[in-house]
Amino acid sequence: MSHSEFRRREFLYGMGASLGGVALTDLMAEGTTAPGPLAVKQPHLPSKAKAVIMLYMAGGPSHIDTFDPKPKLEKLDMKKFVRKDKFASAMASGERYFVKSPFKFRNTGKSGIPMCEHFERLAGVADDLCVYRGCQAESINHPTANYHMNTGNRFGGDPGIGAWVTYGLGSVNQDLPGFMVLPEVAYPQGGAANWSNGFLPPYFQGTTLRSKGSPILDLFPPPGVSREQQRNSLDLLAELNQKHAEKHPDHAELAARIQNYEMTFRMQAQVPDLLDISGETEQTQRMYGLHDSESADFGRRCLLARRLVEKGVRFVQVYTAGWDSHDYIDRAHSKRIKSIDAPFAALIKDLKQRGMLDETLVVWTGEFGRSPDNGKRGGGQRAGRDHNAKGMGMVFAGGGVKAGSVVGATDEIGEKAVEVVNPIRNVHVTLLRLLGLDDNKLTYFHGGRFKQLSQTGGEVIDELIG
Amino acid sequence: MKRILRLLICCLLVLSGTQLWAQDNDRLDFENSTKPTAAEKLFVNRVEPLFIEKCGGCHGTSAKEIKGEFDMRTRASLMKGGESGDAAIILREAGKSPLVFAIQRQDGLEMPPKENDRLSPEQIAWVRKWIDADAPWPDSARRKQFDQAEWTDSAADGITVATSGGLSEQWTNRRYQPDNLWAYQPIKTVEVPFTDGADSMNPIDAFIERALAEKDIQPLPSADRATLIRRLTYDLTGLPPSPSEIRAFVDDKSENAYSKHVDRLLESRHYGEHWAKHWLDVVRYADSAGFANDFPRPNAWRYRDYVIRSLNDDKPYDQFMSEQVAGDEINPDDPDSLIAVGFLRMGPWEHTSMSVAAVTRQQFLDDVTNSVGVTFLAHELRCASCHDHKFDPIPTRDYYSMQAVFASVQFADVPLPYQAYENTDGFVEAEVRVKRQQAAGGVKSLKTLAKTEWPVEEWDQDSEVKGHAKVNNKRKQILARELKRFRPLAYSLYSGPDRPFQSNRAIVGPGKRNGNARAVNILTGGSIETPGEQVPASVLSVISRWSVENAPAFSDGFPQTTSGRRAALAKWLSDPNNPLPARVIANRVWQYHFGRGLAANPSNFGATGTKPTHPELLDFLANYLVENRWSLKKLHRLIVSSKAWRRAAGLVAKAVDEKDPDNQLYARFTPRRLTAEELRDSMLAVSGELNRQMGGIPARPEINMEVAMQPRHIMGSVAPAYQPDRTPARRNRRTIYAERIRTMRDPLLEVFNQPGLDTSCERRDASTITPQAFTLFNSQNSHDRSLALASRIAKTKATLNERIQAAFQASFGRDATMDELATCKKHYNRTLALRKKTDQKATSQYPNHVVRQMVEEMTGLTFYWVEDLDVYRDDYQADLKPWDVDEETRVLADICLVLFNSNEFIYVY
Repeated sequence: MSHSEFRRREFLYGMGASLGGVALTDLMAEGTTAPGPLAVKQPHLPSKAKAVIMLYMAGGPSHIDTFDPKPKLEKLDMKKFVRKDKFASAMASGERYFVKSPFKFRNTGKSGIPMCEHFERLAGVADDLCVYRGCQAESINHPTANYHMNTGNRFGGDPGIGAWVTYGLGSVNQDLPGFMVLPEVAYPQGGAANWSNGFLPPYFQGTTLRSKGSPILDLFPPPGVSREQQRNSLDLLAELNQKHAEKHPDHAELAARIQNYEMTFRMQAQVPDLLDISGETEQTQRMYGLHDSESADFGRRCLLARRLVEKGVRFVQVYTAGWDSHDYIDRAHSKRIKSIDAPFAALIKDLKQRGMLDETLVVWTGEFGRSPDNGKRGGGQRAGRDHNAKGMGMVFAGGGVKAGSVVGATDEIGEKAVEVVNPIRNVHVTLLRLLGLDDNKLTYFHGGRFKQLSQTGGEVIDELIG
Repeated sequence: MKRILRLLICCLLVLSGTQLWAQDNDRLDFENSTKPTAAEKLFVNRVEPLFIEKCGGCHGTSAKEIKGEFDMRTRASLMKGGESGDAAIILREAGKSPLVFAIQRQDGLEMPPKENDRLSPEQIAWVRKWIDADAPWPDSARRKQFDQAEWTDSAADGITVATSGGLSEQWTNRRYQPDNLWAYQPIKTVEVPFTDGADSMNPIDAFIERALAEKDIQPLPSADRATLIRRLTYDLTGLPPSPSEIRAFVDDKSENAYSKHVDRLLESRHYGEHWAKHWLDVVRYADSAGFANDFPRPNAWRYRDYVIRSLNDDKPYDQFMSEQVAGDEINPDDPDSLIAVGFLRMGPWEHTSMSVAAVTRQQFLDDVTNSVGVTFLAHELRCASCHDHKFDPIPTRDYYSMQAVFASVQFADVPLPYQAYENTDGFVEAEVRVKRQQAAGGVKSLKTLAKTEWPVEEWDQDSEVKGHAKVNNKRKQILARELKRFRPLAYSLYSGPDRPFQSNRAIVGPGKRNGNARAVNILTGGSIETPGEQVPASVLSVISRWSVENAPAFSDGFPQTTSGRRAALAKWLSDPNNPLPARVIANRVWQYHFGRGLAANPSNFGATGTKPTHPELLDFLANYLVENRWSLKKLHRLIVSSKAWRRAAGLVAKAVDEKDPDNQLYARFTPRRLTAEELRDSMLAVSGELNRQMGGIPARPEINMEVAMQPRHIMGSVAPAYQPDRTPARRNRRTIYAERIRTMRDPLLEVFNQPGLDTSCERRDASTITPQAFTLFNSQNSHDRSLALASRIAKTKATLNERIQAAFQASFGRDATMDELATCKKHYNRTLALRKKTDQKATSQYPNHVVRQMVEEMTGLTFYWVEDLDVYRDDYQADLKPWDVDEETRVLADICLVLFNSNEFIYVY
């Protein structure tokens, strides 16, 4: 099969390629049987999880103020703290003091998972959660840490996890991209490189459904061009292209471009449908927090994430920022927690009642955790926390993880992980494993070597698997 | 390991420890009297090193860390097997040995687990052969019994390569397949194959046709003249030929018509612009620094223009290389040399108050070492930063020695007056604008707007105060950097002892040059926390110790002085006896002409890169380049003059296409899609809007408005909204001059596969994906270009027929057929009827402010702000809009839009 023929077969499954709904059957009619890049592939190993929803808390949520209470800090509050790192950043130098959590904690669910008081709804699904306290990041700068968590490579340029997963498993629904991203209006630090296809073919790139304006860029023509008029122009284009193709019968890529234009026309009708949540019941909308201005935005996107997974999308990322609480953590974190509490809980509950939770892995994480101490800024002590790569918190649910459990531990002040300690790459390997993918086999030859999400290999964290 | 257990149960032969011992003794007695057997040599030279390299990490360390209780350090333990307790090898029965199943990756058992460690069929054969020969494992006494020569293996199974030495002896002595070492072999003086006595034959064709003849393939004839001039013009300038240029060539019946046009195009200033794009892909040129702040690099454009200038001047490539690596050391008084070394700082880099200085410094050193390796040597050197290179003869020692060459590099933005040949057009207006922005104060509250514009009815005041303060602070920082654009600085560096750098603050002027460069140590596992042995500055040892007898070497040793290391590196790179740089650039040039390199991975000449299809031709071209004072233009001329390059695109014959589906033998021309830049530039050229001015501060074209206005999160806050340049002349310049911001790409370019700006791109992808159709069919950019073309045509042509013909001529360089004409007219009339229904009012005025939002980190709540869009507010000169023209022109524009979207426009044959 020549390169160009391969391309021709591939293209239809490209990003929105398939949002348009042409897809397999039409292609088969042309007599091609080779599976496209987004065709469903068998995982390497048996597994429960088929899809992932990753809730990404950009800025670095504090484990100490969410799922990892540190009573010891009560006594140390505002006392001097001395750090002894050899390679300490400016952030960790100067005069520093301990900061206690401003929040009360209580044990939730039958499993007794400790949660901060502001997780009111989430407490109701505690027994479905697996809180992990052993992960360690390697970077304390936002963009590099974001890249690390999202692509496995701190310096960016590599494929996002969703790209890897879609590359490994394909997409159940050939009419939708396998990897979709629901960002806020403002993108996280590092931008779209957090969900890029990297060196993988572009079909695996995360497709963003934008929060504001046109969900997909240039989905519609500028104002003043009617749908009929556009159809008319597409007809002319098809005719000219057809005549051109007759002169170049051997040039296989031409057909791909011709098809693409037809798909754009169909997508103009389909994308808005995809985003229309008015068909969801009042109760569902309320559950996701859509009636509360603080949680409506994240809630809408969590609901959308469920709809996408329901339609067969393999990997969905939902971003929400504002967790970088260097100061005023009381106010800032309580607000952020309230903005996600109902949506997060609703997502778990909704997936469960639809029988989808077993097959859907939900991951809640940021790029790193936060420090038990703070530095003096502007001369005063303010209750906040700096970045912390050595200790952080993650929450998993569904998809075969150990429900109703707390795995790993940080030390008594939350400075660093001390039990079931694992680098990000092991979390990645575990995530792939839950989907039935073997990180060592999920490789792509590029730049002279087989690249993999973990970069150079890692271990499955058995403790997380139920 | 559980699987091993299952497999082993099936095995009949299980030896007890006693039997094993007895047998070993027997064998030893026997062997003591003889010279090393073939099987013993096989083990010592190949199997054992393989076990250590591929399995040793998990099965060859201390007993405590061994995985699956499977120890591969002795014959006995190998026979004992892993936790199952069953043997891993069955003597003389490789086909039944679980170890063999594992390395063959059959039956679900796959070892070594990583794809990169997978054994080659040849390596598997060694292991099988060894097991079948009773798996002899000579002990140290036996090994000492004979001298080295007796143990030496035949060269047929690989050869050793002399280097500065690996971290382990195993690595130092390991064997390579000779064909994986092609790139280190001296460039051969190749005789041009003799073909039917045609003296005038282009030597390229002599090589190409010999290979075709060997496969009995008859290549296609030359493309027709119209096709050829379009191909040639795009190839050399990245722009389409004008209709008159096409006619001039088609009608030129002189014998040297073609070469005249080749010369004309090589002399065109657009040549340098187009080929600079290729170079900037490799070096990752950008106008911003990347990472958390992605601050502007306001003076980087001088490097971009340096590249264009150098190419247009046909600067010898050895000089081009030397200037970029060591211009400041070699020729400190030459302005271009000071600008050129900006290459070494081209990668993304920043140091913030959150960073550890030692870490960010190391990031730079790793980046520059790899970048020099990739760019000039076609080697990803980074692979050797943590361990000796897995595939290539590049020890970690060499990696850090190369790094030590850059140990004295210190960043500096060096005062350097603008040269007469540099374009400072637009400085005054741009500087006035930045100052005005500074004076205007910061962003404003929603309260300054009418309530109808508020996205929410109420908001948290405290969040607003805190948020605005941060947005304004960031704005100030960025504007201050913007202002530096107008100071005559070069984004440069110098050699000196370590200089402390502050968070992201530009350092103006070189610092102290006296003093020692920081020592460089091998970093164990690539980590600065575990420095190992100190290494001297040097270059790749494989070249001087193994490649070539008269390889470039340094008679007095490689300089270890603070200054002069990079000059020595430059000397080494430009030495004609260094086999890599000339091959690397000749191959890159070939790739940009043919779409594929003779060696298909132009940035990877190592064992894992694709081997050259025509190695002799590649050597011929490398020699040709060096002999012609490294003139790239001569090389271009030779290539585009060949019959191979001028062939028609199309079907050769079914049988041929099956024999050579990827056209590796060049029996035909492979059509290509326009690159992102070519596409945008072509639309501007055809519409008549292209401003062909060269060089200068980055242009800001209009980009998708939603992307321009979307808050771009940078450290602690958000960057100001992107605003295009005020006038069409400044906006509509060639894409090479468009500002390149690492964290905000122009979606038009990105979607058409302009590579990311952080990693070096050896070859662009040209995939067809749906967003391309959205962008090209629906974007404001496409509609504006179409309207401009229609308007230009409508001004000079009166009838519809003439107008349609003119549109075809402008876009395709040919007349429309009668058929096409009829189709277009039908479309025209229908659109006219449809448009009557829509009211064409001025529907999209440019905004003079934008409301933006993000979450304030100190309060956890969303805050809003109003940002002034000063460019749009103050006398913005819009491109032509539908309401500026009559209905006929608008409808004609629809046809132009279709032409811009057509396959004929976007493919080059």
